[in-house]
Parts: sequence; structure tokens; C-alpha cells
Amino acid sequence: MRTRDLTGDSTQVVRVPTMERPRVNQSTKMSVSDLAVWYGEKQALHGVSLDVYENEVTALIGPSGCGKSTFLRCLNRMNDLVPGVRIEGAVVFEDQNIYASEVDVVELRSHIGMVFQKPNPFPKSIYENIAYAPKILGQVRKRTDMDDLVERSLKRAGLWEEVKDRLDAPGLSLSGGQQQRLCIARAIAVSPSVLLMDEPCSALDPVATATVEQLIDELKENYTIVIVTHNLQQAARVAGYTAFFHLGNIVEFSDTDSLFTHPREKKTEDYITGRYG
Amino acid sequence: MSQGISLQPSRQLRRRYRAERRFKAYCVGALLLSIAFLVLFFSDMVRQGHSAFIQTEIQAEVTYNEDTVKFTNESVDESIAPLVSRAFFRSIPRRVDADPSLMGTTETLWLTATADVDQYRKKYSDRLEPEMQSTLERLESEGKVSYGFNKGLFTSGDSKIPSNAGLWSAFVGTFYVMLVVLAVSFPIGVATAIYLEEFAPDNRFTQGVEININNLAAVPSILFGLLGLAIFINFFGVPRSSALAGGLTLSLMTLPVIIISTRAALRAVPQNIRQGAQAVGASRWQAIRDHVLPLSLPGILTGTIIGVAQAMGETAPLLLIGMIAYIPDAPTSMTEAATVLPAQIFTWAGMPERAYVSLTAAGILVLLSLLITLNATAVILRNRFERRW
Repeated sequence: MRTRDLTGDSTQVVRVPTMERPRVNQSTKMSVSDLAVWYGEKQALHGVSLDVYENEVTALIGPSGCGKSTFLRCLNRMNDLVPGVRIEGAVVFEDQNIYASEVDVVELRSHIGMVFQKPNPFPKSIYENIAYAPKILGQVRKRTDMDDLVERSLKRAGLWEEVKDRLDAPGLSLSGGQQQRLCIARAIAVSPSVLLMDEPCSALDPVATATVEQLIDELKENYTIVIVTHNLQQAARVAGYTAFFHLGNIVEFSDTDSLFTHPREKKTEDYITGRYG
Repeated sequence: MSQGISLQPSRQLRRRYRAERRFKAYCVGALLLSIAFLVLFFSDMVRQGHSAFIQTEIQAEVTYNEDTVKFTNESVDESIAPLVSRAFFRSIPRRVDADPSLMGTTETLWLTATADVDQYRKKYSDRLEPEMQSTLERLESEGKVSYGFNKGLFTSGDSKIPSNAGLWSAFVGTFYVMLVVLAVSFPIGVATAIYLEEFAPDNRFTQGVEININNLAAVPSILFGLLGLAIFINFFGVPRSSALAGGLTLSLMTLPVIIISTRAALRAVPQNIRQGAQAVGASRWQAIRDHVLPLSLPGILTGTIIGVAQAMGETAPLLLIGMIAYIPDAPTSMTEAATVLPAQIFTWAGMPERAYVSLTAAGILVLLSLLITLNATAVILRNRFERRW
């Protein structure tokens, strides 16, 4: 495993807290411990801990307002952008706590990509949507290399065949599902190691959803994926591990099969059987 | 038993309809009233001003020789000379200097008539000496009098001779002043707006700044004139009456307009564009520069154009820094005494001669068409580049 340096200087080793794990046959990619988040006076997360396993899809489910999106957005520090937010606890990624003072968030976000609920392509061409981040990060300098990267990213996102003849068309001219796949291609163009997805299919029709789900399945070969979803079937279909959030706490976290078939907690069972939520 | 439901309007419903019609009539009435005033104003301006765009010209033979260069009135036939504008006679030595081969020759030219003759022919006044009246009639019967386009209105500066007065120096002054306004208020305004909207923390201090900027837009413009006088002229020693002083003073007025419209344009860019950029590893400034600014540019430009147009029509603050002055020659630098279009109109409006009434109206028409052009540009820009989400 290649160690990524988020600070620019020598790697700091942070103690990884030991915690209860549902099944220890995977290496841990990100380890969250005692994460608590306040928005002003209101506490959104009450000290949750969770391990994210490498090359697996981890789904976060739970009723609206349970804190699952907040949790997701703490993993690449997007919550820092919210005014009046306070975050406590540790998120360890590549042996470094991403909330440590020497971690640079801009550097961090180039290693942990994100796909949003509503497709948000840049109001530029399809090509520029992909090429933007590698260019500003200085990863690719030559035009021909960039062409290759754009093609590779679009192919990986399953969009290449549909757009290869109109790379100069505006990203916003694509359909909703295509826009979302463009956003995924954009996120993977900088080769992050973790991909965060915040209800990526909630604005898409069933056909586009199926395409994106299939894509997620393929992407886990190369990436570690954390996905927030309201769609329980989707969690069952794509995720290897599932965490059930309720009122800012993780009620249950285990591999998806056991969570859906033999939930340990009554609340989980109520939620997945639709009796509540 | 089925209940009898009547679908006819009840008396109460009819009363509600009447109230609605009444209210609509008030609104239409208010609209018609404002349109009527606007039409009245424009038609009056056009009626008063259109005649200033044309000017009476008289065809005459002009002789250039040693004597007429000294006593320029003698260059034209004795009987016609009183009808010709003094401005022409003054130009004779210059013409001969420019082209010495004219010396000793005679040429037939269309000469600008005096304002008195012009006003008499346009029937604004009947005060013309009987002798001149008969000469004019004779010339008219010979076909030697006609109307020509008043080029001087656009090519010459202000003059005490009404037939020679024009807007050129005011044009140049306006151009310089607007250049200063743009150079000062655009970068400062946009940078301020970006900081307040994108970077500033939401605390007492920035809230105070925000309230003050909004209030600044409502401060009477004469106060900005006083500020300009005290700060720029008295403290920094910027030359009085200069385009630089005027531009700096008007920048103070334009700044809040630009800041407010830029902030509105930035706020209109959806938050998820910023987040999308930052999520792929763009810094805050990169997200703004590469995605937010290009999207909000049409809005920023629209606000800037409207702010500049507002400054262009402003007169009160310029009163205090000496820009309402008689400026016959166009300024050639930022620090020379200058005047601007609305100030020129103000000056002309105060002149006693009848001819200046037309000139004032013509000046207003020119200023209005300039402002309409600017505002139309702003509207076109907005419609052309507006992005819908």
C-alpha cells in the first residue's frame, strides 16, 4: 500500500484506535473514531466510529436527518465549508488524522473524491470537466496525456461511447444520468483512493440508476467507495458493508448480507422492514 | 335529497370581482399616467431640441486677401456679413495659415448664419433688424439660404457664440471621467464583493460593513461632492475641475452599485458549483476564478454598466468640485479642467440667449440616447449570457 502524504512533509504516524469490527478480513482504508459534529448548537453526530474497508463499497443508510450525509462529508472535510460547524474526533486516512492541524484540506480532497446528490458538472465542456482538476493539480501537463486521461476516465465511467464525438459540448447539455456519470469521471480523473457518493442516484430515473449502480460495482476494483443512499435495495445491491444511522449514532454496522437478513438491533429491523423511517 | 348548489356567482362573489376590477383599474391608471409623463417629456425634448441639430447656412463668396485677413468682416459682401456667424470670421486667419494658397483667391462657401438669423428662420423669434430681414428674403429668393446638419454640435466645444457651441469638450470630459470611474470602481468594487461574498466570515464586523455599503448607495450625491472636495482636492491636491477629481468623486458613488450587483451575481451561482470544484481539489480561489467568476461575469458587467451610466448622468457632486464650468477646448489630459455632458446641459440651461434653449434640449437628447445605449447593452449582455439552472 502506497503511503500518501497529506502534509507535504514527513508522514506522521497517528495511533489507530482499536475498535469493534464486524469482520476482520479486509484492510482498513479509513478509520473514524468518536466523530462528533455540531451545527451551531445542534449536535448532528454523537461520537460515531466506523472502519471503511479497502476496495469495498460501504453504504450508509438511515432516515432523513440521521447524520449519514454529515458523516460522509466529514470524510473529505467538506463540512468545513459550512459556517458555524464544530467537529471533534478523528478520521484516520493513510496513517494521518485528516483533522490534524498540519493536514491541508485541498491536498486531502484530491485523494478523497466526491460525487454529489444533484449532478453538478462545471458549466464548461465535457472535456474541460474532466481535465480541470488534473490540470490545476499539475498531474498532467501534455495535451496528448490529457486526451488519454479524459478518454480513460470517461471509459471507466461508462460514458465514453456516448460522448466521444462531442467532447466540446457543454457538460450541462447531457441528460441527468449522463451528467452524474460525468461527475464520477471527473472525480476519478485525479486518481483518488476513496470515492464518496452522497445519494448519487436520487435525482436519476431507474434506467440511469441501474447504469450508475453497475458502474459503482466496477469501480470498487480500484477504489474504496462510501455511498449514502435512501434506497435500501440499492444498498443491498451495491454495498459489501452497510451502516445504519439513527439520530446521529450508528445503530448497527456489519456486512450487508447479515444486516439485511439478520439484523442484531430491533431498530435496524424496523427500518429495513419499513415499519419505521 | 340533493342540496341545491348554485354555480351562479353569489352576491358576495360579485362584490369581490368588482373590487378586483377596481384594483386593476388603479394599477393600469398609474401605469398610463407614468407613460403619459414620459411621452410628454420626450416629445417636448424632441420638439425643443430637434432644431438644434440643423442650422441655417448662407451661400456667399469669400475673398481672401491682405485686408480681409485683418478686417475679416470684409471678406464677405457688406450686406451679407451681418448675417454670418462671428465664428466664421474668426476662423479666416486660421484657414489662410493652414492653406496659404488661398491668399488672393475667392471661393463660394456655405456659411453658418448667426443665431439671430437662425432663430428667426426657425420662427422662434421675430427680433431681426428690418434691413437684415430684407437681405434674408433676397437671399432666400436666390436660393442661397438653406438648412444644413449642425456638425458643430458634435465637433466643437462650448462657445459664447450660440451658433458655434457644441458638445465636443463635454464628450471628451465625460470619456475621461468614465475612464477614471471604471479604472477605480470596477477592480475595487469587484474585489470587495468577492471578499464579502466568498471569503469573509459572518461576524459583526462584516455585517456592519455590509449595512454601510447598502446605505452608501442611498446617500445624497451632493455629499459625495463634498467628500470629493475635502479628500481628493483639498487633502490629496488633485487639480480642481479636472477629470481625475470628477472621476474619483463619481467612483465613490459607483462603488456601492458595483459591489451590490456583483454580490448578487456571485450569490446567484449555485453552491454546488463551488463544492464540486473544491471536492476535486481546487482551492477556494481556484473555484472562484475558474467557475464562479465566469458564470457571474454577465451580472457583474451589467451592474457595472448601470453604475457607470448612473455616474454619467450625475451633476450634483460635480458642482462642488468645479466641473460645471465654461470649457471651450476639449481637455487633453486627466488633470486639465474638464466638463461633462450633464454639466454642459446645466450650463446651457442657464444661458440667456434663445438659441441655448434648443441646444439644451439637444444636449439632453444626446445624453439620453447615450444612456439608453448603455443600458440596452447591459440588458442584451444579461439576456445573451444568462444561464438558467
